[in-house]
Amino acid sequence: MISSALLPVVDELRDAVGRENVLAAHAELIVYECDGFVIEKKCPDVVVFPRSTEDVAQIVKICNAHELPFLPRGAGTSLAGGCLPVGGGVMIVLTRMKEILEINLRDRYAIVQPGVVNVWLTNALKGSGYHYAPDPSSQGACTIGGNVATNSGGPHTLKYGVTANHTLGLEAVMTDGSIVTFGGPAEDSAGLDLTGALVGSEGTLAIVTKVWVRLTKNPAGVRTMLGVFDSAEDATNSISEIIGAGIIPAALEMMDQGILVAIEAAFHFGFPLDAKAILLIEVDGLEAGLDAQRDRIIELCLACGAREVRQARDPAERQLLWKCRKQAFGAVGRLSPSYCTQDGVVPRTKLPYILQRIHQIGEKHDVRIVNVFHAGDGNIHPILLFDERDRAQVARVLEASGEILDECIACGGSVTGEHGIGVEKISFMRKLFSDDDLAAMTRMRVAFNPHNRLSPAKMLPTAGACGLEQKHPGRRASL
Amino acid sequence: MTAVADILPLTETHSPIDQSALAAVVAGAYDSGTPVYPLGGGTSLDYGRSASQPGIGIALANLDRVVDYPARDMTITVEAGITMAKLAALLSTERQWLPIDVPRAAMATLGGVVATSFSGPRRYGHGTLRDYVIGISAVDGRGTPFKAGGRVVKNVAGYDFCKLLTGSLGTLGVITQLTLKIKPVPPSSAFLACDLGDWGMAERLLAALVNSATTPSAIELLAGPHWRENAALGLLTAGSIARLVVGLEGTADEVRWMLAQLGREWRELGVTATHSLHDDRAERLWNDLAEFPSALATPLVIKASVLPSRTTRFAQLVLEMDPQASIQAHAGNGIVIARFARFEAGDISRGLIGRLQPAAQSAGGNAVVLSSSLGSLTRQAVWGGAGAATAWMASVKRQFDPKDLLNPGRFVYDNL
Repeated sequence: MISSALLPVVDELRDAVGRENVLAAHAELIVYECDGFVIEKKCPDVVVFPRSTEDVAQIVKICNAHELPFLPRGAGTSLAGGCLPVGGGVMIVLTRMKEILEINLRDRYAIVQPGVVNVWLTNALKGSGYHYAPDPSSQGACTIGGNVATNSGGPHTLKYGVTANHTLGLEAVMTDGSIVTFGGPAEDSAGLDLTGALVGSEGTLAIVTKVWVRLTKNPAGVRTMLGVFDSAEDATNSISEIIGAGIIPAALEMMDQGILVAIEAAFHFGFPLDAKAILLIEVDGLEAGLDAQRDRIIELCLACGAREVRQARDPAERQLLWKCRKQAFGAVGRLSPSYCTQDGVVPRTKLPYILQRIHQIGEKHDVRIVNVFHAGDGNIHPILLFDERDRAQVARVLEASGEILDECIACGGSVTGEHGIGVEKISFMRKLFSDDDLAAMTRMRVAFNPHNRLSPAKMLPTAGACGLEQKHPGRRASL
Repeated sequence: MTAVADILPLTETHSPIDQSALAAVVAGAYDSGTPVYPLGGGTSLDYGRSASQPGIGIALANLDRVVDYPARDMTITVEAGITMAKLAALLSTERQWLPIDVPRAAMATLGGVVATSFSGPRRYGHGTLRDYVIGISAVDGRGTPFKAGGRVVKNVAGYDFCKLLTGSLGTLGVITQLTLKIKPVPPSSAFLACDLGDWGMAERLLAALVNSATTPSAIELLAGPHWRENAALGLLTAGSIARLVVGLEGTADEVRWMLAQLGREWRELGVTATHSLHDDRAERLWNDLAEFPSALATPLVIKASVLPSRTTRFAQLVLEMDPQASIQAHAGNGIVIARFARFEAGDISRGLIGRLQPAAQSAGGNAVVLSSSLGSLTRQAVWGGAGAATAWMASVKRQFDPKDLLNPGRFVYDNL
């Protein structure tokens, strides 16, 4: 069921990359109609799986020749609709470019193709004494190319930094089909830091085909603690006290009672179900300093009113704790048929306030909200529970989400800490940035993507130089 | 250091009192097509190609206010004209710091340091300046103010102009305000140092540091006359070719443990004599290490960025070309700063473009000029060869500064 206008394009793509690497049948395309953001859906016209950088370059040239929009996609775990093919066109799925090309421990870098799944790299490094630090909760599925596009974080970015801090260089196919390398294995490159500018650009500037990443030495020791609190406020005050004492934990995660119940039902860790909040606190580094840090953290938590602070007894218990945290979203299915995760950021000291506001906003809109988030960074992930078959509920969820994000802005924060703007949060860009700021960002896009064929209608409220009209508005799920 | 007027062809200098006044000055310059030279502390004016077009200076001296310092959030927002010393003094009141070593901190401004993307010895343990800038405001070449990022430590809304402008040499916008992520000051710091008999030993020790049980903040390889006699380190042992100096920071317990551990690791590798530096002597050495790159009366100072494993080979090349050159390598990061004692204008094409730059390229990186007294140098000499990436840099430049008025002719762009 390919539209006849697209037939020549499909043929050219098949000639370029091989028949087995092109999908054009509707039944196959529907898999790609959305990513982790399921509210809005739209099928691409064609899906192509390049196997090399040269394949990507050829695909881009074909799209240009036919003036078709195109966009890259990794594993599709994005939560903001970054992979939504607004206006259709050609989707370039990079999951078949999945080689780890080089691991160089002496020079502390690795070179990977964009389709390498995040955790594969860390697995490949097992036993080497090094790892790849960014560890998004979806690391078992998400690709490093996708991490570069959204500048992904994860629980351990509190101490170790986000993807941008670990990206040394990029090879990319530019919108004119040329192949360019920015940066590389050495640290400082001459000229503008376009590597830094491309990371987090959500696939709107170029298609990344190779990534040079910095490898991080494994910490010698680790102490993982579980603080149990009778009030969320005591928990957030503890966070402020810990950071204020000059301790930078490797991770500092918070889970509230609502999510704990679901996690406990799924993983049977033994969480106290009457606790109002739990902090998962991890410090790592030299053995010489760890016990002192642990003792200090326990002391601070107790002073803030913690009921108890437990320590993970052994590596197995630590792993289970992290499994509970990283797979918490999976457990949400036990609470409701659908959920929507927000990704706001506030200054750490505003956490008590924002949690209180989230609770109030949930009550106001009659939406149940549970919380599991990167507390140390002030990066909240309220999970709004609903049933997508109930249109009224969906509308209330969207309203409550918007109010929470507005509140983050009012606190001096941001509407996304690690998931990206995508299509979901475009309307918030005007609240965060002035017209002049957005004009500068549009100019940035024009510099790289002058015809706005790459990932149109993403990230910026204006469509760029040559605004592409959305001729076929996407299928709106559950609305 | 040379006076501003000797380096930049300034017709007049403005000292705007705030961002909107600054924007008005740039907008006026845009209308009249006048080049604009942003001025911080004037400590890096000889970085980049020399300016040839007369234009106006815009001093950031009046933009040195602290906008917001929520210490508990570990961020600070300041105007770009604040000096690094003033910033450090303020942060130290909360036992916090920006762990970036900068020469002449009393004069150097934060905006200037960001524009030149300067990071010193501590980059091994603490990363580089680009890791700390989380919010930025600037005025583009039309005189339009713009900003990106924000005041929270994690934020992916919009393009990352913080990284784009860090190291842009003021050519995309005049930086007016910055928000930084900051860190707690480690309570204790020390150095372990040893003298190296030969370059093979140097690489063996550097390679071993990759797998050391310690977590150094700085790994410095020091060679040449400048380092032969140092107040903190003492005299270099006769017959040695260089020193290896490892900076260790943390709690007192951690530092004590690392000193003992690294000593053991080095002994196993055949190092017979090590010495440790504490307290005032350690402080003095941190200071010496930070100050080395600042331009003294040397004809040429270059910075090469190579694979860490190629650091010693690059250092050897420098010393082969000029046995009296002094070298500081942030060896854990592959950064080699070489201060030549002898280098003549005639050596530029053969020595710099013909040998040093290709050597750095084949070692995975590049070599740029930090400062020179050899007169006006070509773009190739200062920044190395233009590649495919340079064309995209020019594409960005044309969007932010369409008339090429911000620091014209000084940066990497070709064919604007």
